[in-house]
Amino acid sequence: MDDATKAIEPSQTSQTARRSSLLNAGLIALCAWIVPGLGHLLLRRWGRALAFFISVVGLTIFGWTIGGIAFSPHSEDAFGTLGFLADAGIGALYFPARFLASAGAGVPGAAGDYGTRLLAAAGLINILAMIDAYRAACHRVENSQ
Amino acid sequence: MKISHFAGMALFALLVSVGFAGLGRRTTGARVRQVAWSFLLFMAAAILLAWLLYPLSR
Repeated sequence: MDDATKAIEPSQTSQTARRSSLLNAGLIALCAWIVPGLGHLLLRRWGRALAFFISVVGLTIFGWTIGGIAFSPHSEDAFGTLGFLADAGIGALYFPARFLASAGAGVPGAAGDYGTRLLAAAGLINILAMIDAYRAACHRVENSQ
Repeated sequence: MKISHFAGMALFALLVSVGFAGLGRRTTGARVRQVAWSFLLFMAAAILLAWLLYPLSR
């Protein structure tokens, strides 16, 4: 092994390790999106995991029970598309929300309208939680190197 | 489910405050204080706005 190879090898190893760690951070963000709080749970941040789980699941359940509906992915206007993007932030809970809505949970009037906004708020908080989990995972990678 | 507007608003304020506290603070004590403070501000702002808009509703 010549000197040039010796010099390159450690940097390649650290690059591969960094790429793998960033991939893990991406997976943690994905887990945080699918199940609220799971990303922080995997990072052993129990308090944050519990706070996000209570907040997102609570808002979603409360939104359903007062008759909120989740927006469809095939919306005709920009408002519907934005609503879908916010609702999709809920992760796996989006699907039961859509299913319950199609089963007739939507209530016209103020209560149903509030419920729809609550579902969107839950999605937005979960998106923030997902970004926080990704940032925390990346921070952990930087600290370990 | 039947729920009054005030109860609905209070529950919304509480749940969103818990989410914000999860984002912002590191220790449990600081998070609890943040939940309480954020909840109080939500409620105070809502009641103030309700009184400001009251003349328009008549």
